[in-house]
Amino acid sequence: MEGHYLVTIGNITFNADTVITMWLAMGFVLLLSFAATRNLSIIPSKLQAFAEGVMNFFWNLADTMIGKEGRKHIPLLASLFLFIITANLMGQIPWKLYHLKNGELASPTNDINMTAAMAVIVLIYYVAAGISKKKFKFFIHGFSFVDIILFLVEILEMITRPLTLALRLFGNILAGEILISAIIGICAWGLPLPFMFFEILVACVQALVFMMLTMVYISSAIKEEH
Amino acid sequence: MALSELAQLGAGIAIGFGAIGAGLGIGVATKGLMDAISRQPEIAGQAVGFFLVGAALAEACAIYALIIALKLSGMIG
Repeated sequence: MEGHYLVTIGNITFNADTVITMWLAMGFVLLLSFAATRNLSIIPSKLQAFAEGVMNFFWNLADTMIGKEGRKHIPLLASLFLFIITANLMGQIPWKLYHLKNGELASPTNDINMTAAMAVIVLIYYVAAGISKKKFKFFIHGFSFVDIILFLVEILEMITRPLTLALRLFGNILAGEILISAIIGICAWGLPLPFMFFEILVACVQALVFMMLTMVYISSAIKEEH
Repeated sequence: MALSELAQLGAGIAIGFGAIGAGLGIGVATKGLMDAISRQPEIAGQAVGFFLVGAALAEACAIYALIIALKLSGMIG
């Protein structure tokens, strides 16, 4: 909360605490998916059964929300969801016991640079999906008055959608940390516990919301006009 | 009053008015959930999932106000 631990390499300055925790979250997801896909068998091990359950969840969601082409987009959606939920839940680990010179180790999604990067990836992905599906008609259907107004609205949405995606995730995680540190200021013994449980719920729901909105954007980009 | 003190006042006003909308939104969403479950108790599981997503979307408005308030009071950026 009180600034970040800045490290400069060459001419690039970056927030080292965010990068460290982001790599930890990435490593956890990568290791889990690597371990779950070794030694696949008809009778699944516990880890494989868990991974199959997760994949089933994504398949059902993509089938109902996007339609028959939905499963093509699962790699992006699933990695976004798994990464964000890991990153959000990491915020509840007591990192702050390890002191940096400046700033503190916390959930990587409480840095706006992180969430803005993911939102820009989503923007590029859904625009690319729309263009590859509908070519030039993705932007404009005709040249009547209504079509030009709709085109302007579409351009406005391209700005507001990534902005709200980034701010929603960032704000929720940051608000949770500020809330808990404010509660610790009132009474540090036992009182923060229910709020920490609430933050775990918020972490899961925000990851789900980010993925669902990405899904809605993709499905609105590739659906056929009538 | 100095400009920074006015900014503190603005931060309080921002989060206060922002919270009104989010509170109304979550209240309406909960009412809808209760109506749906009392009409069709068998869809409770599915309805709760949609409710959580909708409540998170409504809550996001208060979060935007909170970001503005934090910005005004100088806690971030």
